[in-house]
Amino acid sequence: MNFANGELGRLRHARRRSNMEVSLEHPAQEIKRLQRCINDLVSLLALPAMWSGSKPGDIVHTLLDSLVRLLDLDFVYVSLTSLVDEAPSETVRVPQSLEQMFRPRELCTFLNRWLGDDPQKPYLQERSHIGGEEVSLVSSPLGVQREIGVIVAGSRRANFPRDTEALLLSIAANQALTGLQEARLVSEQKRVADELDQRVAERTAELAAANGLLREEAAERRRAEEALAESERNLRLIVDSIPGLVALLTPTGEVELVNPQLVEYCGRTLEELRLWGTNDTLHAEDLPRVVELFSRSITSGNPHDFETRLRRFDGEYRWFHVRGAPVRDANGRILCWCSLLTDIDERKRTENALKRSEAFLVEGQRLSRVGSFSWHVESGEITWSDELYRIFEFDRDVRVTLELIGSRVHPEDIPLLNDMIDRARGTSSDFEYEHRLLMPNHSVKYLHLVGHGRRDRHGRLVYIGAAQDVTEHRLSEETLGKVRSELAHMARVTSLGALTASIAHEVNQPLSGIVTNASTCLRMLTLDPPNIDGARETARRTIRDGNRASDVITRLRALFSRKETIAERVDLNDATREVIALSMSELHRNRIILRCELADAAPLVTGDRVQLQQVILNLLRNGSDAMNSVHDRPKELLIRTEREEGDRALLSVKDAGIGFDLQSMDKLFQAFYTTKSDGMGIGLSVSRSIIEQHDGRLWATLNDGPGATVSFSIPCATNT
Amino acid sequence: MNSGQEKIAGDLPLVAVVDDDESVRESLPDLLREFGFATRSFSSGEEFLGSDSLVQTGCLILDVAMPGMTGFDLQRELKLRGRNIPIIFISAQKDEVFRRRAFQQGAVEFLFKPFSDTALLQALNTALRVR
Repeated sequence: MNFANGELGRLRHARRRSNMEVSLEHPAQEIKRLQRCINDLVSLLALPAMWSGSKPGDIVHTLLDSLVRLLDLDFVYVSLTSLVDEAPSETVRVPQSLEQMFRPRELCTFLNRWLGDDPQKPYLQERSHIGGEEVSLVSSPLGVQREIGVIVAGSRRANFPRDTEALLLSIAANQALTGLQEARLVSEQKRVADELDQRVAERTAELAAANGLLREEAAERRRAEEALAESERNLRLIVDSIPGLVALLTPTGEVELVNPQLVEYCGRTLEELRLWGTNDTLHAEDLPRVVELFSRSITSGNPHDFETRLRRFDGEYRWFHVRGAPVRDANGRILCWCSLLTDIDERKRTENALKRSEAFLVEGQRLSRVGSFSWHVESGEITWSDELYRIFEFDRDVRVTLELIGSRVHPEDIPLLNDMIDRARGTSSDFEYEHRLLMPNHSVKYLHLVGHGRRDRHGRLVYIGAAQDVTEHRLSEETLGKVRSELAHMARVTSLGALTASIAHEVNQPLSGIVTNASTCLRMLTLDPPNIDGARETARRTIRDGNRASDVITRLRALFSRKETIAERVDLNDATREVIALSMSELHRNRIILRCELADAAPLVTGDRVQLQQVILNLLRNGSDAMNSVHDRPKELLIRTEREEGDRALLSVKDAGIGFDLQSMDKLFQAFYTTKSDGMGIGLSVSRSIIEQHDGRLWATLNDGPGATVSFSIPCATNT
Repeated sequence: MNSGQEKIAGDLPLVAVVDDDESVRESLPDLLREFGFATRSFSSGEEFLGSDSLVQTGCLILDVAMPGMTGFDLQRELKLRGRNIPIIFISAQKDEVFRRRAFQQGAVEFLFKPFSDTALLQALNTALRVR
């Protein structure tokens, strides 16, 4: 209402002044002027419609142009106060023709000062000098107290402003006020709306950005979750299908998860398995050890690895290998423990059985002093059992080679070893040898070797064998042999002595009678006169005793007389093999290398098997004895049987001994001839007589090399 | 010589022969008689021990090897009975072990058959001197 009152007051004031002017002018002109004023008013009233939606700057420009044109002004000035976000502004409009007269900048400064700061001076109207010109100035406030601003119009006309002009100015100011307020409102609204819009847009953008991040995060999380789930599914699949029992434990060692295999094996629930430390899931004997190992592992974070017996659903305990390791995150923190339990019962059993059997074997080998070996001929790889290392007195880590073995073999037995190696390399036949070892402390050991040759999958020759330390046996045998030979000698001497004694006794009795009688006879004949009767009697008794002595000799001869030979079919090969078997140990003892070449077709002869075997034995011993003093070459003995032309069987024994002097060849077979210092020498002569009884002959020849060959030949058995 | 022989026989002690061999029992007493000794012969130790000659015997010619009681058995038995008769052992077996053993047990002489008449006479002289 205040606004209305103010408006009304101004109008009334303006009318008063107009009335005064009307009275001074011509009515026709007055009418014309009023009509023009009405037209101007209409134009002014039309302004707000034009201004709708315009900015304040545009409004001011339109207003100033309209005022200059309508009121025929020299200049017009508008000052707008600062409102909302617009800075205060001053605008001045001067027609172009007057710009030299009224410079806009100077005008602004002048009018600003002229208006002053007093907003209470709404309507200033006065004559003033600007740049040497006398000007009438009229101001009109925008708003009651210039809240919006102020308009100042100026003209050099002295009658300015006339009442219509003042009215028009006032109305224009009023219209401008409305327009500006509206513009300002619109502008403010627009600004607020813009700001709102901007804020909304910003917020929307922020939200959108945040949303995008969130979406991405969510997607990322989803992907990670999917990957995790997938990985867990895989893990679970692996854990469930692993051929072993698996348990997952918390970092403190509590059972958290087990795979179905474990549940199935134990026949227990997860809850029961969690209490493994206090129930009988583990074998009571293992529990304290396992608890200790396990606790130590969990406390230290080091993996655990042990063997224990685990109770199966049916109560049987089986051995398991338990291996557990911690699963750590990137910072090394333990997330959980993963424990794998593998059934090793079979292996454990086998292992134990193996250990037991190995212990038995080792103990057995130690007790029996038997070592075992294998020899791959091609690669030269030799494997020994512990006992063999002990026998040879080598360290367990020494690599065994033939050279190494050779370094221990008694120098005199090296040919034996070489022979063995040569033959073993040639064929896959079995071999049996006895040789001596010379130990670093110069003691001698006797070794009995048995080897069995076979071909492996690749056809390579492998020997598996055993070697026994027979030193004690051999020494006792040697002692025994010595005792035995002494005994034999004693027996021979004793029996010979007994025989001689018996013969002497038998002969001496009659001899004693003969001598005594002869002595008595002589004494009787030397008597004077001679006792002829007595002498005759004693002579008669002498003859009788002589006959008795002769009888004794006859009886003795009968006692030693030759027996008839038994005739049977004899396979000379079999007979030879039996003799070899009998004399093998003796040949070994004398370190004789015996080779045997027996005829393919068994030579059958007729005769006394035992007598023929005595001959063969005799020849072998003879050959062996002939090599007693041989040390510079192998003591080789070759026994051979063959069929001769004329349906005869030939057996020969070839030695590498000392041989014999050709000139003494005939003497060789004489009863008491011998090349040996400790023999009886009757062997060959007895052998010859036996062979001759078999319609055969026995002879000796010297070899091309060292030694001699003794052979016999007897007719083969007739087929009947 | 017959008278001389009787005379010696009268002075000299009885020489007994113990031998399972008949030819010795036949020949030896003849020779001993030729030496001038009275003599009796026995085929075994048991026979000698059971005879009445045991007390009169001044010297014993004893075979070592006999079935049943051996010469050594008889020697021990005589010692046990306190009969210290000088013994000349004779043996067809030339066994030094027997000889040593015989001397250890106090034999005067040990003769291996066949022995000479002089060896026997020497042994008899030793035996009778000892007595």
